[in-house]
Amino acid sequence: MPVYERGYRRWERSGNRPTPAWWAMARRGITSHLKKRGFLLLLAAAWVPAVVKGGFIYFSDVTRLLGTSWSDVTPAGFLEFLVWQSPFVLIVTAVVGSGLITRDREENGLALYFSRPLTLRDYIAGKAAIIIFFHWAVTLFPLVVLSLFGYAVTHEATGSDLLVWIPLRGLLFCSLSAISMALVLLALSAMGRRTVFVALWWILLVAGSETIAEIMGQFRPWLKIVDFAEQYLNAGAPLFGVARLDGVSPLSSLALVIGYTLLAVLILRRRIRPVEVA
Amino acid sequence: MDTSMDKVNSDRSTIRMQDLSAGYGSKIVLQGVDFRLEKRAVGLLGPNGSGKTTLLRVLLGHLPAVSGMVKVMDEDMARSPRSARRHVGWMPERGGILPGMSGVAMVAYLGELGGMPPTDALQRAHEALNYVGLSDERYRLADTYSQGMRQRLKLAQALVHDPDWLFLDEPTSGLDPSGRIHMLELVADLAADKGFGVLLSTHLLADVKAVCSEILVLREGRLLDHAVVGENGTEAAPEFLVEGVGDAEAFRRRLTAAGAEVAEEKRLLRVTLPADAEPRLILQAAHQENFGLRRMRRREETLEDLFFKILGREVS
Repeated sequence: MPVYERGYRRWERSGNRPTPAWWAMARRGITSHLKKRGFLLLLAAAWVPAVVKGGFIYFSDVTRLLGTSWSDVTPAGFLEFLVWQSPFVLIVTAVVGSGLITRDREENGLALYFSRPLTLRDYIAGKAAIIIFFHWAVTLFPLVVLSLFGYAVTHEATGSDLLVWIPLRGLLFCSLSAISMALVLLALSAMGRRTVFVALWWILLVAGSETIAEIMGQFRPWLKIVDFAEQYLNAGAPLFGVARLDGVSPLSSLALVIGYTLLAVLILRRRIRPVEVA
Repeated sequence: MDTSMDKVNSDRSTIRMQDLSAGYGSKIVLQGVDFRLEKRAVGLLGPNGSGKTTLLRVLLGHLPAVSGMVKVMDEDMARSPRSARRHVGWMPERGGILPGMSGVAMVAYLGELGGMPPTDALQRAHEALNYVGLSDERYRLADTYSQGMRQRLKLAQALVHDPDWLFLDEPTSGLDPSGRIHMLELVADLAADKGFGVLLSTHLLADVKAVCSEILVLREGRLLDHAVVGENGTEAAPEFLVEGVGDAEAFRRRLTAAGAEVAEEKRLLRVTLPADAEPRLILQAAHQENFGLRRMRRREETLEDLFFKILGREVS
C-alpha cells in the first residue's frame, strides 16, 4: 500500500495524565516477569516457608511442644522468618535483577531510554523498583500476611503488635534492605557484560561472603563483618528487639550497609550513560 | 529591543547549534559547529568519522557540549534536557530493540517513556506500526524481526510520541533495495506531508537526494557548509555541457579569457560561466573561433556535485 494512503494522524492528546517514567518502567518489568510460568513457580516455592509457618501458628497448641520458633508470633519469630527467606531473596533477585541494565547496554537500549525525557534518577528508580517489588514479594508480603493470620488465629500477641507494629517493623526492615540490595545488584548489572556473569557475581557476593565469614568467624567473631547479607539482618535486628552477630554491633553493620549503597550509587552514576566514553 | 540573535534564539520551530564543541573525554570531535535548521528535511552528510553520529548525540543531550549552545524548539539541551527531548524522536543505527517485547509493546512502552498516558501510547503504537507497515507483525517478539522490520520498528518508536523532529541515523542501513525504497518513501512522506522536521544522518548521497532539500556537510568535526539543494546563492554559477566541431583549444582559450572555467567531462566540454555572465557568451566564443556547436545544454547541479564541491573547496 503506498505510504500516502496509509492512515496516519498526529497525536490528539486524550487529556489523561501521563505515567511517571519510573513507574512505567517498573510496571513493565514486574508484569513481564509475572507472565513467566517458571518464575511464578519460583515465587510459589518462596511462599512455602510462609505456608508452613502459618500451619505451625494455626496448630500452635501442638507445635509449641516441638520447641521450634516456627509457631512464634513475636517480633523475634518474624525476624527468624525473614532469615529463612534469605535463600529465596538471593535467587529471586538474581533472576530479576541481573540483566536489568546489562541487557540494555548490550542492545544500545540505554541510548534509546535517554532519547526520551527521562533522567538518570528515573531510570535507576524504575529498575530498582522491579527488584524491590520482588524482594518484598518474598519477604514483606508473606510477613504481613502471616502477621494478620497470627492475629486471626492466636491469642499470644497483642492486636497492636500483630496488626500494626510487626508489619511496620517489617516494612522498615524490608524497605531498607530491598533498596540497598537493589542498588548493589543494579551496580553489578551496570558493570557486567553478560547477564549470567552478573548473576554469578551476585550469588558469589551473597553466598560466597557468607562462607568466608563462617570460616573467618572461627578465629575472630568480628570477622563475620565480611558476610554481605548478614549485615542487613544484623543492622535490622534491633527493630525486632534481638541481636544477631557477636562482635559486630548493629551500628557497624548499618554503616557498612550505607557504604555498600553509596558505592553502588557512585558506580551507577558512572556506568549508566547513553554513550560509552572510554 | 530584540536583537537578531534573540529572534533566532526564541524561534520555536528550529534547531539551533551555536559555536558548539563536543567530544569524548579529552578528545574533541566537533569544533565550532554553528547552524540553524528550520523544520524540514535536512541531510547530515559527511565521510565516515566526520562527526555525524556525535552531532546527533549532542542534539539528543547524550553528550554534553564542551562549549557552545544547543537548542531544540527553543529548549536548551544543557539546561532542560527533558523538555528538549519531548520534541525529538530518535532512530538509532545500532541496536535500538528492547528484548523480550512484542513490537506493539515496545513502541507503546517507549511512548509512555516519551510522556504519553498509557492508553494514548498504546493507541499511537498501533497507528505508528500500521503507518510503517508492521500491522500484521505487531504482536510478534521484536527480537525475531528481520532487519527491514527492525528498521521500520525503530522508525515507529521514534514517531510514536509525535515529536516535532525526527533524528534518523542511517535509516536504510542493512536494507535490501525494496526495503530501502520503502524506508525512504516513509521518511519523505513524514517530512513533506506529515509536518515532521527530519534530520537524516547518512553517508549515502542517494538517500539524502530522495528525501532532503537541505544539507549539512561535516568533515573532521567541522561544519563545511549548510546548503539548500537547488537554491540560488548556494549553488555555483550556471554550467553548460558543450559539444562541437573545430578548434576546441581556441574555443577553450576564448572562454577562459572571458572568465569562464572549462573542463572536459566525458568527451564534452563543461563550461562554468562567471556568475553574472549570460549563456550567449558561449555562442559568441564559438562564433569567434569558428567552433561548430552541435549540442549545448545546461548542466543541472546534482547533490553529488554540491557535496564534492563543498569538500573540494575545503581541501583547496
